[in-house]
Amino acid sequence: MALSLEGHTTRAFDGDLSSLHIQAVAMGALVIEQVQLAVSAYSNWDRSAATLVLERERKINLYDAQIEEAALQLIARRQPMAQDLRAVFAIDKVVTELERAADEAKKLALAVLAESDASGFRPGAATAREARALGRVAATMIRAALEAFDRLEAGAAASVVQQDKEMDAEYADALRRLLTHAMEDPRRLQATVEAAFIMRSLERIGDHARNIARHVGFIGGLDPTATGVLPSSLSIKN
Amino acid sequence: MDAVTVERAGINQKPSGRVADEAGPLDAPIEAGKTVGTITVEDPIFSCRDVDVYYGEKHAIKKVGIDIGKNSVLAMIGPSGCGKSTFLRCLNRMNDTIPSARVVGSILLDGKDIHDKKQDVVQLRARVGMVFQKPNPFPKSIYENVAYGPRIHGLAGDRVELDEIVHNSLQRAGLWEEVKDRLQHPGTSLSGGQQQRLCIARTIAVNPEVILMDEPCSALDPIATARIEDLMEELRQSYAIVIVTHSMQQAARVSQRTAYFHLGDLIEVGETDRIFTNPRHRLTEDYITGRFG
Repeated sequence: MALSLEGHTTRAFDGDLSSLHIQAVAMGALVIEQVQLAVSAYSNWDRSAATLVLERERKINLYDAQIEEAALQLIARRQPMAQDLRAVFAIDKVVTELERAADEAKKLALAVLAESDASGFRPGAATAREARALGRVAATMIRAALEAFDRLEAGAAASVVQQDKEMDAEYADALRRLLTHAMEDPRRLQATVEAAFIMRSLERIGDHARNIARHVGFIGGLDPTATGVLPSSLSIKN
Repeated sequence: MDAVTVERAGINQKPSGRVADEAGPLDAPIEAGKTVGTITVEDPIFSCRDVDVYYGEKHAIKKVGIDIGKNSVLAMIGPSGCGKSTFLRCLNRMNDTIPSARVVGSILLDGKDIHDKKQDVVQLRARVGMVFQKPNPFPKSIYENVAYGPRIHGLAGDRVELDEIVHNSLQRAGLWEEVKDRLQHPGTSLSGGQQQRLCIARTIAVNPEVILMDEPCSALDPIATARIEDLMEELRQSYAIVIVTHSMQQAARVSQRTAYFHLGDLIEVGETDRIFTNPRHRLTEDYITGRFG
């Protein structure tokens, strides 16, 4: 069955729910750009790009607050049930994941800006390359999760969960290389730790994408206990 | 077809949306007697199977089968004319009062057929009490409204016992404190919510096992409604309650199990927690999300 947020006897309910969904998708598009820009700012050590990331972060937070308010109003006015209830609940959670993914991107920008004033930890060519690679996977995952969310295709979630495994493997590789590097030259330890934090942020963005995919599955009625991110009281096995 | 296309086709075949489970697919066609969900309960007070109700030519209830559990609230929901009230009225043979009505099938109360020739209908209605949409106190005093049932059923040996039954019933219906100083006032002098609680007191005065409620709060304001809902939670400790309601929120609040009726068919039965978050049948989903019709 194709999921739809429309078809209510009350047309205004369709409007409220769709508007909530569209706003969350729009916020997601902004977060994808944010991740890409932050990765570029870090790997190219580009101060102006990093500044732009911080400016955009405010817009993302505004989206977060607006969508939360709209979700609250919708619950109060319409008392959604079943699929609609799951949708509102999941949209709110998706928005939280997006906001947290954007927070991780912000950390990359902050690293660049803090360095500009101090002597620094600009990533070497290999680390920059790794950040780009992890950033690419993270952005792809967010995009795939968001497309599934946009079309409300619960089945599409599976591919994002699969990509998350690849992301974990790449992250482990990157850490191993950084650790080897630090052991070769202990004077680089601080720079290595910072680079490891950056890799960790990118890996976390992948985790948020995976969670978004699971929330989409939840709207479709997939068993949330299998995803481990939602309360079992809402489980279909209840 | 090249490899990429094959892979894509494979992905597209994966189920998108709801997973079908052991209860059957979400879009299951309507088939009389094929209810989605578990109709049985452990140790039921009522056990109904293949119940059909006809009003003359009209087939109002089609092969409905469901158990009603002790100490729990079953909510029956569905659009107007779906048969939920008709089914409720089967449970204490209220349909007997309609000349054109014909009830077929098995309805067992504590294992005994309520349509048995030996079954005394008055006795049955004492065991299976009913509270209606509009409060309908008798045009008598508050006291007499509650005392009437125990008196005709001979439940009290003397006046003291009768007083005690009236006191206990009003207490359990949460009305005692409000009326104890005016028991001789007419029942109709009470507010709507109080009248409905008086009707509940009248019902429980004859020691029923089951209380049927047909939209008991639809004529009440939100505060009176909340009091009745609280009362239902208390009463279910002692009785089985079946409620017909048009308020989905009320069904979700007060019941443990919910049954969804549609055009005379019992479409789905399930735990209330699940029905309102993740119903299995498309028709249930459409109705409770306001997409019906």
